[in-house]
Amino acid sequence: MLILIALSVLHIAAIILLLVATIDNAWWVTETVRTDIWARWVFMDNKWNYTDLPDISSYPQDYLQAVQATSVLACIFSIIGLFVFIAQLFTLPKGNRFTISGVFQILACLFIMIAASIYTDRFHLDEAEGNYGHSYILAWIAFGLTFISSIVYFVLRKK
Amino acid sequence: MLRVLALASVVLLGIAPEASQAISIYTGWERHALVGSDIRLSCSFFSWRFVSDDVSFSWSYRPDGSRESISIAHYAGGEPYTDNKGPFKDRVEFVGNPKNRDGSILLKNLDLSDNGTFTCDAKNPPDIVGRPSSVRLLVFEQLPIQAGVITGAIIGVVLGLLVLIVVIYYLMRFLVARRVFSLSVSKHGKKKKEGSQQRQLWTPPPLTCYPLP
Repeated sequence: MLILIALSVLHIAAIILLLVATIDNAWWVTETVRTDIWARWVFMDNKWNYTDLPDISSYPQDYLQAVQATSVLACIFSIIGLFVFIAQLFTLPKGNRFTISGVFQILACLFIMIAASIYTDRFHLDEAEGNYGHSYILAWIAFGLTFISSIVYFVLRKK
Repeated sequence: MLRVLALASVVLLGIAPEASQAISIYTGWERHALVGSDIRLSCSFFSWRFVSDDVSFSWSYRPDGSRESISIAHYAGGEPYTDNKGPFKDRVEFVGNPKNRDGSILLKNLDLSDNGTFTCDAKNPPDIVGRPSSVRLLVFEQLPIQAGVITGAIIGVVLGLLVLIVVIYYLMRFLVARRVFSLSVSKHGKKKKEGSQQRQLWTPPPLTCYPLP
């Protein structure tokens, strides 16, 4: 019972981290700019303005859309995995492993890893100031959590 | 009641065309093209009257940043006339079918200087009151990626694959179950005897608790 609760908490925590990483526009922050995969916040005239991402060569549009797509897919797979896990709790015969839930979580792990890796490799390579923001960090933490979660699903047997 | 309705409809049909005898012209809103390519700008109209023999189409071009427009194609009296002096000299061709209310033109070998607004004006005498419609042409050296196309494509393909795998899995299970069922029905008598014998020899496996590794 305790293990069940712990597993659910882990899975839900991974989902929340994935959602924040995907939705919040803060993969790269500087003093006045918070930018990311959907849009950019610029601090001007004492308030934050919501602007589009620049259409310049250091911001390759196709890689940006790949990051968007894979991070959204990671969220989708993790959420479907939660529902599959709950379903498998009731339908799985005793002694079997939660393979399908594990598969969904490992896919979510793979996709968020792809998203974060593409972002690291292709964006903000030559910028003097600024550092990675909380969305980026949460994306990598979510990668770790989903990995652990999927391993547990692959190993655990239903009692 | 029916007679009142019939009378009302006849009266309305008699009155309505007088009020709505305006010709409606349709072109696209915006067209994108690559440098060096050809593009077909479509223009069609809707009119309450049949297409007359004096139907006319008139295309004019206003470059981006200019306030003057120049005529580049005209169809009247059954004959098309195209630009032979202006910016589209020998590059525009009338490809529409006026009998079918289509007054489209084909622009060939586009250049970056062809960015601008193209206006189509159609007249179907006696139906001549209408608003000309404009289409904006944007010529690119390289077609830009539209926002969200790649994102949507990746998400769509992956989810589609997922749905496909699930459907195939359940289909296979269904087909295998059906085949097994049809086989067992044909050999029903033989299998039943063997099955009952088997049940006496087979004991259920012991229930054990598997601890977490």
